[in-house]
Amino acid sequence: MHISADRLSGAFFLLLGLALYFVVIPAQVETPEGGNLAPQTVPNFISFVLIICSACLIVRPTDHETRGARSFVLGGAYAGVLALCIFVMSRFGFEIVAPFMSLAIMLMIGERRPLWLLGGAILMPLLIWFLVTYPLGRALP
Amino acid sequence: MVDLSIILAGFSDAFSVTNLLFVLFGVALGQFVGAVPGIGPIMAMAIAIPFTFALDPLVAISFLVGVNKGGLVGGAVPAILMNTPGTPDAAATALDGYPLAQQGKPLKATKMALFSSITGDTFSDIVLITVSAPLAILALKMGPIEIFALMIFTFSVLAGLIGTSLIKGIMAAALGLLVASIGSDPEHFTPRLMFGYWELFDGLALPSVAIGMLAISEILRRMTEAHGTMRAAITLDMSGDPDDRRVTWAEYWGCRYTMLRGATIGTILGALPGIGSTAAAFMSYAFAKASAKDPDSFGKGNLHGIAATESANSAVVGANLIPLLTLGIPGSVGAALIISAFMIHGMQPGPLLFEQQGRLVYGLFGAMIMANFVNLWVGQLGLRFWVKVVSAPESIIFPSALLLCFVGVSMATNGLFGVAVMLIFAVLGYLMTSFGYSIVIFIIAFFLGPRFEKSLAQSLALTKGDLFLIYQSPVALALLILAVVSFFWFLSRGKNAQG
Repeated sequence: MHISADRLSGAFFLLLGLALYFVVIPAQVETPEGGNLAPQTVPNFISFVLIICSACLIVRPTDHETRGARSFVLGGAYAGVLALCIFVMSRFGFEIVAPFMSLAIMLMIGERRPLWLLGGAILMPLLIWFLVTYPLGRALP
Repeated sequence: MVDLSIILAGFSDAFSVTNLLFVLFGVALGQFVGAVPGIGPIMAMAIAIPFTFALDPLVAISFLVGVNKGGLVGGAVPAILMNTPGTPDAAATALDGYPLAQQGKPLKATKMALFSSITGDTFSDIVLITVSAPLAILALKMGPIEIFALMIFTFSVLAGLIGTSLIKGIMAAALGLLVASIGSDPEHFTPRLMFGYWELFDGLALPSVAIGMLAISEILRRMTEAHGTMRAAITLDMSGDPDDRRVTWAEYWGCRYTMLRGATIGTILGALPGIGSTAAAFMSYAFAKASAKDPDSFGKGNLHGIAATESANSAVVGANLIPLLTLGIPGSVGAALIISAFMIHGMQPGPLLFEQQGRLVYGLFGAMIMANFVNLWVGQLGLRFWVKVVSAPESIIFPSALLLCFVGVSMATNGLFGVAVMLIFAVLGYLMTSFGYSIVIFIIAFFLGPRFEKSLAQSLALTKGDLFLIYQSPVALALLILAVVSFFWFLSRGKNAQG
């Protein structure tokens, strides 16, 4: 069965709006006394707007077509590699992780030429390290 | 009114050697990244902002303006040579630029793009310099109620103009406001939506959100498209006739009305929040074609087609700064990035900027004019080089851009927490664009969120909790009526979910 992209995103935002209004905002916003505008007023109003608009989108969607499943899988794979690199970078630092991150991304894109791989994995991280450490005088992550 | 001595001091700051060098560097970088399909000036600006920490505010902002202006010129190069616009603004340029390149005149086409781009840009800069100070004086008379109404009007216009669906535009704005509400609330300073992460007490960092959504999400999209394919280098067929490698004065002068019309369209559309340079370029192209004696020649390599689109899309850049400098409202993503540079250096754009930082504002104006001349000079010298740049492989560009984003955001947010936030927003941006939600509206709403809430709180204090008393302010009432009218107008035009 074909599911409209707008109905799918509409359903997600409807659930998000409901979750925000009934669960997240009551649990995650403190309510002090007094003042002109309570801290939960704007988030509550936003969740209300999300609920109304997403309901409209589900009822009358546009003909928007989203990317194919392959793009989402690939996008997720790239994002996963980046998340892993951030985690490893927090343990071993930029200098160690950056060449491997560059190399992994280049190989995933499909680059196989040794000189380009060498340039991307060694030269670029080295240039960035030099730029940040010396001319800018800042610390790398 | 700003004192003449401040204006002169600002211009003298702009024309200092250091500033000139950074404008030169910015323009060259902008043309370079504009010429590389996949990066573009917006991504380059987003990446460059954290690196400008160490610079003087004027030098930093001038550098970013240089990147933005240079990017528009550079974006025309791949559009003309490969029919692959480096920036969305240059898509219309490809309509006549590419056929002209195919006829053996790629340098004539790129030079026409360069000259008309600089003509349009200079026109809009002159308008910006002339009208922004008087407009700022008017804006200073606005109180919290008027500012609140202005924001409602801005959101209604943005939601209607950007993207393909009014409903999705409103949802994108709502999401931006929601994300902006994370952190301490502006009135009571109590924690809100932080989920125990005290790093979020001051709210989400603009560099993390902006770079994640604009740069990383775009890189993710391009990497999924480039996956497994190595883009081939282009081969150019150059004509032997020297006249085919340059634009003669007669050809340039023959396009003067086309460029003037394009610059006017770009300036008017650029001054309105949300419309953007792509719309200006296509509108100018349509006008040029409709008023031409030989409309059939358009799309087959007509110089007027290039002049119309490039003068219009470049004129938007200067005009975009009119709402930013006078009201503190960014009209485009480029303007939002320039605002974040202002904020990084401790300044709040808006009408008070002319009073408090007049010297800096006029320094910026001077830098913009200088950037136009530098753009012409670098473009003349660099066009042959940029022609080679378009064949740079994406497989090396994307990992390098990713590393720069990582380093830039970690410097801007003092650690890897900001980088992790950036990645979350990159995924959000990727999903939003995949499902047709505008990230431009999201970012502008995110930026305006705290001010929106503050002006709402102040309005409630002034009206003693009864917002219906807003009718006592004719300006606010007019803006709210305009917001409602524009909402229903966009709805009736079918640019909505029900359409």
